[in-house]
Amino acid sequence: MLLNIRVVFVHVLIISLFSLLWTTPSHANLIPTEDSPYLTELLDKALKLGLENSRYWQLLLHYRKNTFGGYTSDVDDPGFFLAENGKTNPKDELIHTIRAFFSSDLVGRSQQHAQCAFIARYHWLMEKLSFDHQRFPKVGCKRFNHWFEELNAESVTLIFPSAFMNNPASMFGHTLLRLDQKGQTSQTRLLAYTLNYAADVTTENGFAFAYLGIVGGFKGYYSTHPYYLKVREYRDFENRDIWEYHLNLQKDELKKMLMHAWEMGNAYFDYYFFKENCAYNILALLEVARPDLALTNQFIFWTIPADTVRLITEQPNLVGDISFRAARSNKIKQKYSTLTSDEKTLLHKIITTPTEADSQKYIQQPRTRQAFVLDLASDYLQYQKIEDKATSKKTGENLHEILKKRSLINEPSKPFIVTPVSGQPEQGHKTSRIDAGIGWRNDSFFEELTLRAGYHDLLDPNAGYTPDTQIELLKASIRHYEEQNEFRLEEFTVADIISLSPTTALFRAPSWKMRAGIESVIHDQCKLCYSANINAGVGIAMESSLLKREVAFAFTEIDANYGTAFDEDHRIGGGGTLGVLADITSRWKVLLTGTYLQYPFGDQSHDIRTSMQQRFTIQKNGAIRLELNSREEDTETLLLFQAFF
Amino acid sequence: MSRLAKFSGICVFVLALPAIVLAGPHTDKGPGCGLGKVLWSEYKNTESIGPQLLMATTNGSFGSQTFGISFGTLGCTNDGTLVAQEKVNVFTAANFENISQEMAQGQGEHLASLATLIGIPAQNHEDFFVLTQTQYDTLIHSDDTTPTAMLQSLYLAIDEHPRLLNVALK
Repeated sequence: MLLNIRVVFVHVLIISLFSLLWTTPSHANLIPTEDSPYLTELLDKALKLGLENSRYWQLLLHYRKNTFGGYTSDVDDPGFFLAENGKTNPKDELIHTIRAFFSSDLVGRSQQHAQCAFIARYHWLMEKLSFDHQRFPKVGCKRFNHWFEELNAESVTLIFPSAFMNNPASMFGHTLLRLDQKGQTSQTRLLAYTLNYAADVTTENGFAFAYLGIVGGFKGYYSTHPYYLKVREYRDFENRDIWEYHLNLQKDELKKMLMHAWEMGNAYFDYYFFKENCAYNILALLEVARPDLALTNQFIFWTIPADTVRLITEQPNLVGDISFRAARSNKIKQKYSTLTSDEKTLLHKIITTPTEADSQKYIQQPRTRQAFVLDLASDYLQYQKIEDKATSKKTGENLHEILKKRSLINEPSKPFIVTPVSGQPEQGHKTSRIDAGIGWRNDSFFEELTLRAGYHDLLDPNAGYTPDTQIELLKASIRHYEEQNEFRLEEFTVADIISLSPTTALFRAPSWKMRAGIESVIHDQCKLCYSANINAGVGIAMESSLLKREVAFAFTEIDANYGTAFDEDHRIGGGGTLGVLADITSRWKVLLTGTYLQYPFGDQSHDIRTSMQQRFTIQKNGAIRLELNSREEDTETLLLFQAFF
Repeated sequence: MSRLAKFSGICVFVLALPAIVLAGPHTDKGPGCGLGKVLWSEYKNTESIGPQLLMATTNGSFGSQTFGISFGTLGCTNDGTLVAQEKVNVFTAANFENISQEMAQGQGEHLASLATLIGIPAQNHEDFFVLTQTQYDTLIHSDDTTPTAMLQSLYLAIDEHPRLLNVALK
């Protein structure tokens, strides 16, 4: 690691030296000194116009209004500011920026002339102040021009790889921008560059990673990867659907955005997982392109990528065509569902023994069907090669044999259209939720109010979300029990995450869940006592379509409780859960679960829980929920109206 | 466990893996097309280039150096064919599996993109697709065939093709 850092440092140094050679203005001696009358004139004019208070200046410098007055920039790299106090002083930064345009000093992390390093500021100020280049030489920005030509961008597409449950880091999805080049077609879009914002992760320790991520311990940078690398990463390696929203940005808007992106090559931000993340900084770029858009200020505590996608699609005249690239696994599943049972049998044979493709039975099939089965076999083996490293050599050999056989059928494969499993992300419900309702707990009537920060639970309306998954963060329920006339915090969830992965003939992935929170229990003499609870489990899930779609699941789990209700204040044990999650109609969904837990440690006891919960969708952001929950001698009926916001 | 789950990030955030990075005896001199140089000199075993490359892109430090806005591959010295060839090499290495599959299938976006990078105009893509499908066994002789070897065979095949010969850039 040390070696890496040193080498990177040398690398940067060498590059910096090169760029020095590249960008030293040839007419440096003609540049007037800082005290030139024209500079004074421009400064006067800028301040008279109050440019430091204009929205565009604030956008270019990423200034945010402080709660108690004044401004602070989101950018944390000192090299991004030309004034020493530029991070908090828009006016001084304006003065020093104009001054720097007159100086031949190289500035910023990329060591360029100020007119090039801060080319978006330069162009905006040039327009506002009508620079007279007779009195103030313009520097040629060779590096920027070369970069801009190489990008050759014609339009911009917002890219949204959907949520990926099996990497905690991408559970909420990701957003980036694709810079579509002139002359590209849908067949060659892979060659476009992207504008991506990501953290420079400097640890391999999961806990350090989580901690540093929350407190802003990593630096975030913009970068320009080719799109094909992103497609490979998200679609092929992580099996995530990728959504593409074509944006109607005008040529001048696009140029403004790219000039600003070039400036941001000079800067890092402290990366905050929850708010100042990828999605947030992509919004910031769009605001520079089209300053009328008010996007970043819509997010106060957290920025969830799916929420930003919804916000962008709601803007007038911003989003054009929407297209979709299916995750490799989803493509395989849907292709498989179109096979006849004979073809399925053949496919399974071919995957393990490619010579089966020479069998009489196979050759009798029409050539297009032979090709289709071989293509599906190669899709699957490619998937397996990545998933199962241990057998990848054998898989690679089989894959090669199958492709060789496929190439002998001299006709091109027909494109296969995959239907998105749960609709377009922007059609999904919003991620915060408020519930209000009434219920009875063991004959005591109560009113309940629940607030949930995020994001989606198993029963929330399916549209736009990864199916069979739940991520609930920060949920609090307050109840008022009529009889006792008592208000109490009934339940508090820190996190409640469930990922069900139905096993199919081709796919096997474990289902898992984890939960941490506080609940109110009735235990021995203790009525409604707080119990802090941690639970984690792994299991399997199966899918069927008897009514509409059902997922049955089974978990084995460990469970720990802490609270005064228990002897020795705690109990630790384990057990299992069985359940069914069923879509009855497109609006009506039911979740049935039964759990048995045995606690051999601490308070030696057991727990049997059953529940039947139902949701009925009223509209995109509204639902009704009816729950029957029971534990031994403790039953509860609950009717809730839910609104997403 | 639950803390980790709760606090883990919202966006893509793949943990730093031991990167292919700029470590080792080889260092990239100057603002050339650093990525390609690293790939071709450090990774003799081209089987692993694709995955390695992906690790690299998801690893911030390498990613931001290589694809950074001011220093990145886009800052390659622009002497025409060198850059073009570099693009073909990197694209092929990163997408070798998809390209192989589409060659056998006689169509596909990776194949069309490769054709474009090689300089074959859209009206000749059909010829290119037919060529790669019919000569699949020559181009990708075994499952050990490297992207470099495939490209060499491909250029030879193009040289013998009456229509592609004159349009492809070499």
